[in-house]
Amino acid sequence: MASVAAAIDPGEDALAEPRAAAIRKAALAAGADVVGIAPVHRWDEFVPEGCRPYDILPGAKSVIAVGVRGPTAGGWLSPEHRLMEVNGYDFANDRVVHVLADHIEREYRYRAIMAPGLPIAGHQPLFSMMLAAVLTGLGTRSLAANIILNPKYGLLYYSACITTLELPPDSMLEQDVCPHPMCVQVYKHGGKTPCMAACPKDEGGCLDGAIGDDGRIESSYYDRERCVSRAMNFGINSFQKALEQIANEDDPERRRTMIHSDFFGRSCEGIAFFKESVAQCFECMRVCPIGRAERKLK
Amino acid sequence: MNADDPATTDAKTGATMDSTMAANKAELVEFARKGGALVTGVADAGAFAAAMAGQRPTDLLPEAKTVIVVGGAPPRAGDWQVPNYLHMETTSTSDRMFALANRIAQFVERRFGYYAVAVPSGVDRARQPFLSLALAAELAGCGTPSLAGPVLNPEHGFLYFAALLTSLPLPVDGPLAEPVCPAPECRTMWDEQGTTPCLAVCPIDAGGCLGGRLENGRVAERRYDVARCTTRSQNSFIPGFQKALEAVFDEPDKERRRMILWGSQFTRTLWSMSYSNVSQCQCFECMRVCPAGRARRELR
Repeated sequence: MASVAAAIDPGEDALAEPRAAAIRKAALAAGADVVGIAPVHRWDEFVPEGCRPYDILPGAKSVIAVGVRGPTAGGWLSPEHRLMEVNGYDFANDRVVHVLADHIEREYRYRAIMAPGLPIAGHQPLFSMMLAAVLTGLGTRSLAANIILNPKYGLLYYSACITTLELPPDSMLEQDVCPHPMCVQVYKHGGKTPCMAACPKDEGGCLDGAIGDDGRIESSYYDRERCVSRAMNFGINSFQKALEQIANEDDPERRRTMIHSDFFGRSCEGIAFFKESVAQCFECMRVCPIGRAERKLK
Repeated sequence: MNADDPATTDAKTGATMDSTMAANKAELVEFARKGGALVTGVADAGAFAAAMAGQRPTDLLPEAKTVIVVGGAPPRAGDWQVPNYLHMETTSTSDRMFALANRIAQFVERRFGYYAVAVPSGVDRARQPFLSLALAAELAGCGTPSLAGPVLNPEHGFLYFAALLTSLPLPVDGPLAEPVCPAPECRTMWDEQGTTPCLAVCPIDAGGCLGGRLENGRVAERRYDVARCTTRSQNSFIPGFQKALEAVFDEPDKERRRMILWGSQFTRTLWSMSYSNVSQCQCFECMRVCPAGRARRELR
């Protein structure tokens, strides 16, 4: 993530580095674990027209992505898997981005917005946080559900800020984070990495793939629909599923039982404001060695 | 319990505590205070003998040594003064305390290098909590149970509580030696009228939720109809949504169904559940009449 000099408006040139430093400092103080900056034209070869940062915010020059750890190390350690199902995540990355957008508009008088990361059609967001994390040098794609892994922390939750402020960019990572050397060895011996073994496609799971002789990902397979049905079993998807079943049930007594059931109640809670989890399966990440050192505490 | 007076002795034994533990605790208490906590207490993770199996700290975090409890975010003095009860129905929330517990858990891990996990704000199966926050608050010396139900703090009265479990050893507080409830005013009222303010405002034998008895100035018996209270205090939250949804599907007439779906009651349940609202509970009457912490509500 070393800063690389870029074409900066000469009038603003001298201010760019100190502004970038101040933005990083503000992000870290607000709770970010990592911060990366990319120029908007890095998106050009990856996304269709309409989804580029400057399509979303006209005149945009830079994207700042932040990553934060989700569950605490204590959460990973808990034998009660349901605890992480409801407590995995506290949207700290979104809070950081709001802090940054406020900072840029207030201090530098440039426009700044929170990048829109929620799906607008199917599972497709208007702006991919995964791609933003890769292009800002925060991580690379993994065999485990394509999750973007950071070399230090592994699984992170990402948000991004799009701004008309031109900033010196960070380099993209040159070294793949996944597969970890340990996973390459495991694959050579058993034909599967830990994440593939935790959720194997051939045994009703979601993951498969191959590692080439050069130790890099040769191919990867991810059954997103199956993963969603398992990882988001108390949330918007389960609410929709349960509501369909309720609507299709003709018997009032059975319908009443379904409406007041634990499953539907938990689905309602999954979409309510006070819940802090959007997914309920962490198994491919639980076995991932990347970032594991960060989870070992006293 | 107080940032200005960090404990340096074990509340139970009086023995001198390790200075590092005391310093860590003082730092945590200050972090919590800056984050909005009005009270912070520490309970021994092994003291939850009264909890059901599966709901003890070590069931959730086997390495847990202590449970840190924060309390705060009560309705403000101004909130209690608003004559329209609908105001507090839509603005009071425990959310700030749960967010703070999450932040403290991250702080414990990053600052001290010990495991920490916040107790989820949601409920587990069958609407059971992962860990009783009332019991945690009591064991951490943040307050004592009341006739009305909520754990009351001696200084602030009604507060929202959140907790986190950690492997970090800390000097333990509480439980408090003296119960906060009944307050002296309530004991006098009991002696004169055979009831207390909270029992009188919601009497279980007259369609309400609360009953009980004082003996020698202490609570000798408590009755609480949790099901009835839920139907009244969460009438715009998830239980209200489920009830309204049942009415929608049971209604054969399309026009009437349309009216239910677009009606104020159904709309309020959605506002109450969604991120855009911040209230889970819509009845404060037993706390409105409670004298504990009332001095905090008296402003100009």
